Amino acid sequence: MSANFRELYTDAELEKLRRKIKAWTVALAVISAVGLAVCVTLAVLTNTANARRMELYTIAVSIAVGWFVIYCACFAVGSSRRELAHAGTLRDGERERTEGRVTVTRQRLRIKKSITAKRVRVETPDGESLFWVAESRAPLLQGASAVWTVHGYVAGYEVAK
Amino acid sequence: MRFLKNVFSQLHTFVLWALMSAILWSWIFTMVTDTSPQKKVQIYIYVDELRDTDLAVYLEQDLPDGIKMVKVHPFTYAMLNVDLLENSDLFILPASMVGEYEELLLPGGEAVKVYDPDTGSGAALDYISYSDEDYYLYFGAKSLHLDDGAAKYVADRLLAS
Repeated sequence: MSANFRELYTDAELEKLRRKIKAWTVALAVISAVGLAVCVTLAVLTNTANARRMELYTIAVSIAVGWFVIYCACFAVGSSRRELAHAGTLRDGERERTEGRVTVTRQRLRIKKSITAKRVRVETPDGESLFWVAESRAPLLQGASAVWTVHGYVAGYEVAK
Repeated sequence: MRFLKNVFSQLHTFVLWALMSAILWSWIFTMVTDTSPQKKVQIYIYVDELRDTDLAVYLEQDLPDGIKMVKVHPFTYAMLNVDLLENSDLFILPASMVGEYEELLLPGGEAVKVYDPDTGSGAALDYISYSDEDYYLYFGAKSLHLDDGAAKYVADRLLAS
C-alpha cells in the first residue's frame, strides 16, 4: 500500500463507535430500569379509589418508555452496531486496488439490517468500475485517486499528493 | 421526515409493545386490586348506572377484621361469565328480576327493600341510579360471609348511606 493510503475507518474511529454503543446501551438500560421502577411504584400506590387512573398512568408510562427505548435501540445503537460490523468486515477482508477518477454518485442503497451505502464510480483507462461506500464515510472519497475494496465495498482510499 | 420513516419501518414492534404493555399491566392491576373470596365482600347490583368505585370506597371504610376489600359490580360485569354471580355475597335486584335470579339468593332469606319509586327514597342514592320500580337487597346463597357477619356489616353500611 502506498504512503498516501488511508483507512476508511481508523482505529480511533472504531474505538469511538464502540464507546458510543456502550454509552447508549448503559443509558437505555438505566431508562428502562427507571421506567419499570415508576410503573411498580404506581402499582404499589394503588387503592380502590385510584385503581383505574393508576392503571392508565402505568400503561402510558410503560408504552412511552418502551417506545423510546425501542426507537433508540433500533436507530441509534442499531445503526452504530451495523456500522461497526461493516467496518470490521472491511478491515479484515481481502482488498483489491482500483485506480482512477473517483466520483461518489447520488445513488443510494439501504441494505436491510445493514448500512446505507452510496454508489462510487471509478473511471479507469479500461472503462469504469462501480463500488459502494458507507454513506457516512462517502465525503472522505472527495479527491481520492484510488480505492481499495472488499467485496465491492470501499475499505480504504489513496489521495493524490 | 426521517423520524416518521424510521417509526413506520418498526411500526409492528411499537404496536406489539403497546399491546403487551396494556395486557401485562392490566393483568398485574387485576391481581393488585383483587383478593381471595374469603377476604372480600362482593355485591352485584342490577342497575344501568352505578358509581361502583365510589360506592366501594365508601363501603370499605372500617371493614371488619379479615376483610380487605369490597367489590361492587353491575350485573353486566358477569355478562361473559355468569358463574361470577354465584359467589356474590349481596345482591340488589329490581322486583321484576328476582324470579330470574332466585336460585342465587339465600333460601328463606329476608329481602330488604332498598328503593321505593313512589317516595323516591332509597339506600346509597348518591351511588346507585335506580329505575322506576322497587329494589330489594338479598344475601347470596353461596356467600362465604354469612357466618362471620361481614356480609351483614356491609349490608348495614349500604342501608345507612
